[in-house]
Amino acid sequence: MNNGNGRRLNGETEEDDDDEGSEGDLDAWERTYADERSWESLQEDESGLLRPMDNKTLYHAQYRRRIRSLSSQATTSRIQKGLIRYLYIVVDLSRAAAEMDYRPSRMAVVAKHVEAFIREFFDQNPLSQLGLVTIKDGIAHCLTDLGGSPESHVKALMGKLECSGESSLQNALDLVHGYLNQVPSYGHREVLILYSALSTCDPGDILETIQKCKKSKMRCSVIGLSAEIFICKHLCQETGGSYSVAMDESHFKELILEHAPPPPAIAEFAIANLIKMGFPQRAAESSIAICSCHKEAKVGGGYTCPRCKARVCELPTECRICGLTLISSPHLARSYHHLFPIVPFDEVSSSVLSDPHNRLPRSCFGCQQSLPNPGNKPSLRVACPKCKQHFCLDCDIYIHESLHNCPGCESFRHLKSPIATEE
Amino acid sequence: MKFQIEDVTVYFPYDHIYPEQYAYMVELKRALDARGHCLLEMPTGTGKTIALLSLITSYTLSKPNNPVKLIYCTRTVHEMEKTLAELKLLHAYQTTHIGDRARILAVGLSSRKNLCVNSRVLAAENRDSVDASCRRLTASWVRAAAAANPNLPTCEFFEEYEKAGSNAVLPPGVYTLQDLRAYGKEKGWCPYFLARHMVQFANVVVYSYQYLLDPKVAGYISKEMQKESVVVFDEAHNIDNVCIEALSVSVRRQTLEGARRNLNKMRQEIEKFKATDAGRLRAEYNRLVEGLAQRGNLPFTDNWLSNPALPDDILKEAVPGNIRRAEHFLHVLRRLVQYLEGRLETDNVEKEGPVGFVASINTHAGIDQKTLKFCYDRLHSLMLTLEITDTDEFLHIQTICDFATLVGTYTRGFSIIIEPFDERMPHIPDPVLQLSCHDASLAIKPVFDRFQSVVITSGTLSPIDLYPRLLNFHPVVSRSFTMSLTRDCICPMVLTRGSDQLPVSTKFDMRSDLGVVRNYGRLLLEMASVVPDGIVCFFVSYSYMDGIVNSWNENGILKEIMQHKLVFIETQDVVETTLALDNYRKACDCGRGAIFFSVARGKVAEGIDFDRHYGRLVIMFGVPFQYTLSKILLARLEYLRDTFQIKEGDFLTFDALRQAAQCVGRVIRSKADYGMMIFADKRYSRHDKRSKLPGWILSHLRDAHLNLSTDMALHIAREFLRKMAQPYDKAGGSGRKTLLSQEDVEKMSDGILNEMQY
Ligand code: SF4
Ligand SMILES: [Zn+2]
Ligand SMILES: [Zn+2]
Ligand SMILES: [Zn+2]
Ligand SMILES: [Zn+2]
Repeated sequence: MNNGNGRRLNGETEEDDDDEGSEGDLDAWERTYADERSWESLQEDESGLLRPMDNKTLYHAQYRRRIRSLSSQATTSRIQKGLIRYLYIVVDLSRAAAEMDYRPSRMAVVAKHVEAFIREFFDQNPLSQLGLVTIKDGIAHCLTDLGGSPESHVKALMGKLECSGESSLQNALDLVHGYLNQVPSYGHREVLILYSALSTCDPGDILETIQKCKKSKMRCSVIGLSAEIFICKHLCQETGGSYSVAMDESHFKELILEHAPPPPAIAEFAIANLIKMGFPQRAAESSIAICSCHKEAKVGGGYTCPRCKARVCELPTECRICGLTLISSPHLARSYHHLFPIVPFDEVSSSVLSDPHNRLPRSCFGCQQSLPNPGNKPSLRVACPKCKQHFCLDCDIYIHESLHNCPGCESFRHLKSPIATEE
Repeated sequence: MKFQIEDVTVYFPYDHIYPEQYAYMVELKRALDARGHCLLEMPTGTGKTIALLSLITSYTLSKPNNPVKLIYCTRTVHEMEKTLAELKLLHAYQTTHIGDRARILAVGLSSRKNLCVNSRVLAAENRDSVDASCRRLTASWVRAAAAANPNLPTCEFFEEYEKAGSNAVLPPGVYTLQDLRAYGKEKGWCPYFLARHMVQFANVVVYSYQYLLDPKVAGYISKEMQKESVVVFDEAHNIDNVCIEALSVSVRRQTLEGARRNLNKMRQEIEKFKATDAGRLRAEYNRLVEGLAQRGNLPFTDNWLSNPALPDDILKEAVPGNIRRAEHFLHVLRRLVQYLEGRLETDNVEKEGPVGFVASINTHAGIDQKTLKFCYDRLHSLMLTLEITDTDEFLHIQTICDFATLVGTYTRGFSIIIEPFDERMPHIPDPVLQLSCHDASLAIKPVFDRFQSVVITSGTLSPIDLYPRLLNFHPVVSRSFTMSLTRDCICPMVLTRGSDQLPVSTKFDMRSDLGVVRNYGRLLLEMASVVPDGIVCFFVSYSYMDGIVNSWNENGILKEIMQHKLVFIETQDVVETTLALDNYRKACDCGRGAIFFSVARGKVAEGIDFDRHYGRLVIMFGVPFQYTLSKILLARLEYLRDTFQIKEGDFLTFDALRQAAQCVGRVIRSKADYGMMIFADKRYSRHDKRSKLPGWILSHLRDAHLNLSTDMALHIAREFLRKMAQPYDKAGGSGRKTLLSQEDVEKMSDGILNEMQY
């Protein structure tokens, strides 16, 4: 845009305004913002600087980075994950949570995804427990105590969705610290803070509180909803948690779900622990018993603690009477894949792609979709380092995040055995 | 890493180098090869200092036959320490590569206040009193007296240093001020005098601008520096102001009252000497008759401030007869003070050239030009004769004599301006008589003439063609470099309208418009609600800041702002401001969030960094033009127009924009950092204003951000902050090389170079 026709006025110290070029400026503004989300698809801006090309590439790039950082952690330290987690979710319900940059409001979006998260969490960590804390008017409230039942948490949260006042990170941390300090030492203490506000109004020195949390081995992670705040970053760095800021709702969802699989155990804390567990029997359909959790008489269903024979309604849980951890074997099995993650796939470098002598598979081994032409865009395919099959990025994500085993490797294993017998 | 630039092997202490650093070194080398001066603009955060140091030291290493000395001038002690720390790193790297051949001596030099290790002396509160306290212990006559009477106090560090004689040297190495103090304490030698002595032999000297530019200081510190030196002025965007300040003197009522007290004190001293030691005064008289103004080589410790005039302009003649006798000289001074008092009595602003002023002194006080000119030398001689050590007490009369000498020496480029009160506060009488220098080229000329290469560098030297005109020199190289970034971490915006679409500006006629005041307030309020941690606001002046903050307070906006963040304000009191800054930082650290109100051209704007979370956003409210009705400014503008053909408007815009750039540049101090800059005034959208911003800001100022209203800016801010909070690849994405390895540099073509330049 050129509005360079400004006259140079001599001798005049503060010129009159002639709003030259203002219409032109407006054009430029509208050009960029006319379409509500156009800035997300900017390819290269006027000044020639690269911007994110589209959401998908951005998303893929972020995913690759994540995988890489996870695997680098895994290789440097023995993979050791906390399977028994005690997690507090802190939901910031201060004034800022009412803002509407997320629709209908930050608060509603957070609640929605917390619900999904809670379910996913118990799915992936059947041995773990979580609790809910909210911050409102500068005070932290405990919404639910640590427990293993998704329903009760979700119900409690949905009942309390209103916001006001300031936010106080310190109060929340202090409260959570008080609770988490009491959990058994084999459990992993975690806090996940969903923070809307951009500041924290604390009664005392928050830096001390952070040190206290660090000492108690509480892993604190924060997901911000609008911008990076120094104190949150500091908190996460100190306590070994992760800090991220959501770009929009789908990104937020992704970020929160990242916390569902167990995090790597905090190093000094990672002493192997033997834990006593009970695998209770499902009670006979017709038997009547008073359950220890609801103090109600129930017909059929429920489980019986193998040690004290008390009845409980849901698994997994801790026996109310004798304190034994009660789980079912499928629960335990599901927790296992975290211990044996599949290796990250390698990006197929563009030099290999452009080499004509290399005959590369044309389609993804997973979904059979054709892979983009070589030379078109770099690194749009990945290869499993073990079975050498190529995959598209979507399959890559699906394999690592949901499936937890490589289709290539699996099918080769099946293929190999019959061949071996034939010979 | 180690690489070749033409015939020079450059040792660079890091594994990677930014492309702009490489380009910078190439240009610098060309200037050194040509033995000429150069101007180089490169944004802060790009490692300018290390590039400079590494090229110049490597250059010397590659040409052992004519070693060049590096004189590196910084504005603050803090910068000095940082520079020396970088040099230390570089030196260690060079030593591991080429061993003893890399050996250098590098010292920082500062005033006694920063170097003294004598705890009794250090107790004094300011620089002048530390100087005086030291002098009370070390002046030659004090030491002579102490030799006879051991009960008199001396400084043990100085005595030890003297005793060590020619053994008192610094072994090769790099010495920060702290290292010097530590070394001094260890050896029991005075670090200040040791450093001053070593400056002549050092390969690298780091000190403040004044030590070269202010003749009063340069006269005794930098006299011995060899011609084969490279002089670097870092952060030199305000160098012209340093130059004119070095040759300007202002006289207030307090100065004259103090001078009268000084004169009385000296008269008493003279009486005393007459009674006890008349021979001393006679000896001085005889010496003056013989035509020696100065006593030849003074002991190191007896030096005080040197002649305020530039070395070439000092007359090497005998002191005129009428002031040879001490009493006569005091008489002359008394008449001069009386005359100046009379001039201060005026109710009108007066402006005069030096010639007219001298003539008027001659008719009314009977002091001729030559006598005036010798005032400084004569005073100095008298103070030595009277063995005065309380130099801090005598600063007033020194000021008067400086004034007299300068006014007697220069006929062009100066004017005398008398103002009965500060125009912004007409009801408070505060008369001041100022001898102001208009020509920045005067003070710097000896530096250009004397040294082989002078490098003027800063993050903001735009428009780069103006500096050679202001300073009257011909650079062999003048270049501006951009910053290579892995992501768009700076986001400048021009805000022209409030949310109600009405224009905002600090233009004189709109300044007190309530609509503008409100719009500015709402802008800050809205920004405070979306920007985390620290926000810095710059206003055009103290009075404007006071006014607008008051109105915000009255209409309740300030209260609303304070719900989001704490507010801190810069005041003219240094201690208060330091405290405010401390608390501001604390509030940013603990997550409370804070706003700092500050003034363009103030101390904060010049020297304090608001990097990282200490400044995520800086708002420049208005265009920081100088106070255009100031008589001194008008006189300077007139002079610039007549002498250098620089138009008033051009100069004012240039000056305002460099201040603005300086203010907003405070938030970005490294490439990993990010920050937004809002220029809140509709005048910034004009091409003639905007184009004077430095290239590294302009290149990020997108067309769509040139004419924003508050709500648009808010939207951009939200997006920007979200984007910056995402993790990113520090090494730079594909295609954009922002870090070069040794290999890259070796195969580098000129392509990169051209890319980096404007
Ligand atoms: S001689 Fe040195 S140590 Fe002693 S008082 Fe002076 S500056 Fe301080
Ligand atoms: Zn029950
Ligand atoms: Zn039991
Ligand atoms: Zn696929
Ligand atoms: Zn595989």
